[in-house]
Amino acid sequence: MGVIVKKVELSWLDRTYVWPVMKGMSITFGHFIRNLFTTTPNRYTIQYPEMKKEIPEGYRGLHELKRFEDGAIKCVACFMCQEACPARCISIEAEEFSDLNITQGFEEKRPAKFSIDMLRCIYCGMCEEACPKDAIWLRNDYEVAAYDRLSMKYGKWDLMNTYAEADGKERLSQDPTPSVPRRTIVM
Amino acid sequence: MDKLASLLHMTPAIFWMVVKVVIVFSAIMLLASVWTWVERRGSAMIQDRIGPNRAAIFGKIRIIGLAQLLADGIKFFFKEDLVPEDANKGLFWLAPFLAFVPALIGFAVIPFGRSFESGGVTYYLSVLDPGNGMGLLYPMAIGGMAVYGVLLAAWSSNNKWSILGGMRASAAMVSYEIGMSLAVVTIFMTTGGYDPAEVIKTQGHLPWAWNIVRQPIGFIVFFTCMFAETNRLPFDFAEGESEIVAGFNTEYGSMKFSLLALAEYSHLMTASALVATLYFGGWQVPFVQNPTVMLSVASFLLKMLFFAWVFVWIRWTLPRFRYDQLMHLGWKVMLPLSMANLVFHAWRMSQGH
Repeated sequence: MGVIVKKVELSWLDRTYVWPVMKGMSITFGHFIRNLFTTTPNRYTIQYPEMKKEIPEGYRGLHELKRFEDGAIKCVACFMCQEACPARCISIEAEEFSDLNITQGFEEKRPAKFSIDMLRCIYCGMCEEACPKDAIWLRNDYEVAAYDRLSMKYGKWDLMNTYAEADGKERLSQDPTPSVPRRTIVM
Repeated sequence: MDKLASLLHMTPAIFWMVVKVVIVFSAIMLLASVWTWVERRGSAMIQDRIGPNRAAIFGKIRIIGLAQLLADGIKFFFKEDLVPEDANKGLFWLAPFLAFVPALIGFAVIPFGRSFESGGVTYYLSVLDPGNGMGLLYPMAIGGMAVYGVLLAAWSSNNKWSILGGMRASAAMVSYEIGMSLAVVTIFMTTGGYDPAEVIKTQGHLPWAWNIVRQPIGFIVFFTCMFAETNRLPFDFAEGESEIVAGFNTEYGSMKFSLLALAEYSHLMTASALVATLYFGGWQVPFVQNPTVMLSVASFLLKMLFFAWVFVWIRWTLPRFRYDQLMHLGWKVMLPLSMANLVFHAWRMSQGH
């Protein structure tokens, strides 16, 4: 099937080439003047280290392992995120942590180790989707950089504290002893 | 001045010459390097970007990005100076100078201010005094020399992309030179001489008596040809990212590259000085019969820098030409136009205007 391409007929004024050039130059000069009198914060460019873009809600940035109010980790080491992870960057080591069991309203497992290799992570958010306990969130921090590979491997406590300062919570380095039941189970 | 000259064991004439040479050429080199900054920041403004503004002296003094010049200079000085294998070493070294020197010395005859008298001696504000017999033929001839810089740089670096760029550029320069020369000849004709001082004197101080009003076609032809002469966009056939890598300076690095870049901007300065002299009354100040020396220099600088800015402005407005379009424009549009301009003004002169 042939397509008829409509040729643009230039007027004699356009064919002189001088007039269109003038028009183009007035456009560029308009931009020049406008930018000359625009202050830096009002420009399109964001001057990165000094100015930062507002991160939209639902942005998938650095992970956080959520905690209960007493500081206990929400994660129950079910390995769902590790399974879901397409980059295979999550590795979990589970532990049983008390004699209290689920019938008494306590979780029985928690991660002894929980590490995410940030160099491999693709920030797809599948772990967040897979988590049945809502224990892992991807939030708004995107400045993940380090000078060596080892410090890009975030451990359990690193992940629990990633947003501690931003949320005004204290940094944790130890699991609290379980005292209050997480839920009541109706027998 | 005489005392200073005798202190340095020079005659006043030679001393004045040395002073002029130092001032003019250092000013052009300074302006050329500043113009790299103008180009980058100006293009950024035109395209709604910001441009280089991060370089800072001691991490503090940014001076709206001018520190970038220093940073670039230092970087170029300390980079490794590579000469490609199988390159013609002698010519490879010579080419940047052959590009740079003609771009610079073309300025020599252009008066950048009115002459003044002191102690019974007339001092002229141009490196070569008027009446030197070369006049404006000299920058034209020297402008023709600029081809050698580009062509030698291309040829000596033993790179097929380079030589393609160099050949294209020299073809463009040579073919546009004819149209340009005819436009200038028209001015020589109406002036009755080819001395820049004479050209400026004939134009007078009234803007409507300047050559831009008398010969607008000539101006358009000359200005367009200047773009081809200086190898700048939209006619930058020496280079071409998408076609021939970086063109004639592909193999150049470090200070040699920066010399080639500086040559381009010096050429631009000389070209805009020529435009100001030929079509905009040189150092004449509009509506001022006898301006002071400083005023005339300021007027000339303003005109020159304006045209240098127009060069930048056009570069970031127009897309590049295709090579055949360039040749078409050069031979079938610019040449007939400037010929018609010449014939028209010859006819007018024969009618006694």
